[in-house]
Amino acid sequence: MQIPFSSPAGPPSGATSPAAPLSPEPPALPDMEEGSAPFVAQPFKSPANYSPDPAPRKLHPLVDMHVDRTAFEELERRAERNGPWDDWSLYQLALEAEEASLVTDFHALQCLTLLPHFEPLPHQIDTARKVLHEMRGRAILADEVGLGKTIEAGLILKEYLIRGLVKKVLILVPASLVLQWVRELNGKFDIPAVAQRKAYTWDNDIVVASMDTAKRDPHRQLLLDNEFDLIIVDEAHKLKNKRTGNYQFINELRKKYCLLLTATPVQNDLSELYNLITLLKPGQLGGEGDFAANFVADRRVPKNEAKLHEALGQVMIRNRRSDGGVEFTKRIVTNVPLRLSPEEMALYEGVTDYVRKHATTENGDLTSMLSLVTLQREVCSSRDAVFLTLINLFKKTEEDSPLRARIWEIVELIRSIKANTKAEKTMELVQSMNDKVIIFTEYRATQDYLLKFFKEHGLSAVPYRGGMNRGKKDWMMDLFRRRAQVMIATEAGGEGINLQFCHHVINFDLPWNPMRVEQRIGRVHRLGQTEDVQIYNLCTLGTIEEHIVHLLHEKINMFELVIGELDEIIQQFEKEDSLEHRLAQLVLESTDGEELRRKIDGLGDTLLATKNQLHRENQP
Amino acid sequence: MNPKQVQKFVVSYLDSTGCHFIEKSPSQVTVKLSPDADRALSNRPYYWSFVDRTGTAPETMTYRWSFESPSMADRTNASPVSYVMTESGRVIQEDVYFGSRRLYQLFDSALFGGRCVTLFEEPPRSKIDPLSSHPYTAWLGVNFKVGFECDMKREELYGWGISLATGVINEKFMETLKDRRLTPRLPSNVHLMRNGLSLRKGMSQLELTMERKLKNTDFNWAVEAEQRRQDELERIRQYYVPMLDNMEHPDQKEQKDAVSARFQQREAEIDWQYRPRVSVTVMNCGIFHLPGIH
Repeated sequence: MQIPFSSPAGPPSGATSPAAPLSPEPPALPDMEEGSAPFVAQPFKSPANYSPDPAPRKLHPLVDMHVDRTAFEELERRAERNGPWDDWSLYQLALEAEEASLVTDFHALQCLTLLPHFEPLPHQIDTARKVLHEMRGRAILADEVGLGKTIEAGLILKEYLIRGLVKKVLILVPASLVLQWVRELNGKFDIPAVAQRKAYTWDNDIVVASMDTAKRDPHRQLLLDNEFDLIIVDEAHKLKNKRTGNYQFINELRKKYCLLLTATPVQNDLSELYNLITLLKPGQLGGEGDFAANFVADRRVPKNEAKLHEALGQVMIRNRRSDGGVEFTKRIVTNVPLRLSPEEMALYEGVTDYVRKHATTENGDLTSMLSLVTLQREVCSSRDAVFLTLINLFKKTEEDSPLRARIWEIVELIRSIKANTKAEKTMELVQSMNDKVIIFTEYRATQDYLLKFFKEHGLSAVPYRGGMNRGKKDWMMDLFRRRAQVMIATEAGGEGINLQFCHHVINFDLPWNPMRVEQRIGRVHRLGQTEDVQIYNLCTLGTIEEHIVHLLHEKINMFELVIGELDEIIQQFEKEDSLEHRLAQLVLESTDGEELRRKIDGLGDTLLATKNQLHRENQP
Repeated sequence: MNPKQVQKFVVSYLDSTGCHFIEKSPSQVTVKLSPDADRALSNRPYYWSFVDRTGTAPETMTYRWSFESPSMADRTNASPVSYVMTESGRVIQEDVYFGSRRLYQLFDSALFGGRCVTLFEEPPRSKIDPLSSHPYTAWLGVNFKVGFECDMKREELYGWGISLATGVINEKFMETLKDRRLTPRLPSNVHLMRNGLSLRKGMSQLELTMERKLKNTDFNWAVEAEQRRQDELERIRQYYVPMLDNMEHPDQKEQKDAVSARFQQREAEIDWQYRPRVSVTVMNCGIFHLPGIH
């Protein structure tokens, strides 16, 4: 490496400071005596504060001055070769650009002026500021669901990027959220993040990857050999156990700033919280023994709460919906009861009868039992949906099976149906609201039928489904926004559909998994929705649909639960078996509607108990 | 930078890179890039290497840049990049505002394309005496960016110049250049003074002066950062030292080594994050020949 300005020379006459020698011998290395910490032989060479200066000079016992003379060396080279020279106005523009992006203050949040089209909420700005200035860039963001942890992380990242304190960034999230993160960072923050796809993607400065990919070789080793100015881990409660690979991987990564995002910092055990914090700031809660002795009364019960809160407050921010400040609009739920036409009811009875008889013969083959229950659900949606399934079922049964004739009888029942009661009711609803509305159904066939039905009645509707590629999805969203009054969707869980401009939702049929219902509503009812959201549940009386609506709406009142509450309840509840399975089993085990109703009520009570238990635990 | 300043910046950039304006309106421009600007802005390295290797005539891109900063509602409604077809071909529409990636790219491109200059001041026309020759002094002008960094950061800019004839330093040099008419060509009836200092010596003088100036600044920020550093170090010591002390048994040697490696890594991270430092970067610099003897 070259040593700049090593030739000693006397001061030229007339120089401002004749007393100082021109080129003092630069000290080879920073002095070792200051501080008691052992000086690390190989300091980090992160791009964000990498200094090409081989010979920093001391300004203050604590501070070295590093000079980057690259541009000057270029000038020397060009002077020797007599050019080429750059343009004077570009030279001035360069200065203007630097002046505009100069960070003049240690504290003010610069990123806010750079996001002209996006207004973070006050609690998000406060959080960002606190992490940057008080928590020194290592924090757990533990807001309750729906308050915008991603936004907070984005603000912090943007601020560090602007200040040039961060260049190399690793964002680890569950696989299903990778694209959503990338889109959010690109769209809202204009941060050039890329999704990790191939090994060479790691060369980018800001990479979003799934934790599962990152922790496996060859990626793992690659990342461990690297240094990161900032690491962000979403869904960080997966790091609560320090013996897991995830935990050790994050622990081993070399990092400067670090953000852990989780809505549920404590799920079962206080030691989970201790582990999370130790990952971030070892010693914050003392050694392991100290923690248990000082703060833990029982697995889930803390002691010395005031002191614990203080210690936690230095590394963790938890905004709650109950703190106020964030106003969600209301959800107004209307059940729309329907009576099926006699022909439709005949079909329903036919299918139900078939399912009951058949279920006993299947004897415990759960998958085929579930598909039978699906038949019943499909009848409640549309004859088109059930028709397809029946045909498939017919093809699968053996040719000489007596079932074939039975199935054919049901298909004959379908033929006699001339109108779809639900579709007509929906049509009425849509026309009466005279506003944008999104209709959700579980079944492709129903979706196609509705599209056709609406078209025949002069109503423009666009489809949206999981199988569409990204471009087509975007296009459909765009059509819905600009042209069509109605969107008919079979999928809600897909990332990136935010439909705040619409505030009517019709559940043409209901999924049995409450989380999926919540996802549907969440497309519309989210931060940024300015209107109250109207939700209509179509409910065919005398069918299993009636029971499900009863369970979800009246029993656990899920539509009006606070955002985020539901996932906690379901998570807790589904530890053994999924709700969908349990419901299907109840349906098959019951001999009549009355019994089914009682059993579903029982299930609802268990859910309620889970909810109340969680409520008690969440009280601070 | 407000939208007007952004627009002014972009237009000057396009002007000085020789781009062709198709349309200019109060809040937007449509511009066909020059080859140089296209190389810098269109993100098409493969295309340009193709042009360079085959010698084909390059087809540059046309952009329509709007400077009114759009509201979030408008932005979610429109995709950030869109295309229109016109008679002159495809036009890419983008919003350019302070904070947008496009503007940052222009900033970077200006920094890269405006690094080193050599310029002469044009003598005032009225004073030209065809029979005499004006003496010109060469100045080394350097724009420094100074960063005060620890776990936080603050920056300052200095546009200094040093006379290569006498070593006099002008700390307002860049400002004094603003009103002068500068040209890359040596004007007639001008003679250049002999330099007393090499470029290198001039630079080292500037650096020394900067060093002295910075030594006299307030270092409270650094003292505070050091305190935070010690604080953090103390915290992890509390955690690791007792743990290591409890691993005295020979069987635990391996485990102890692992823990102490982790300990060292944490110490290094803290050092990396908190250790106060000052960085002085030469953003751009040039040789300026100005009239008079200084």
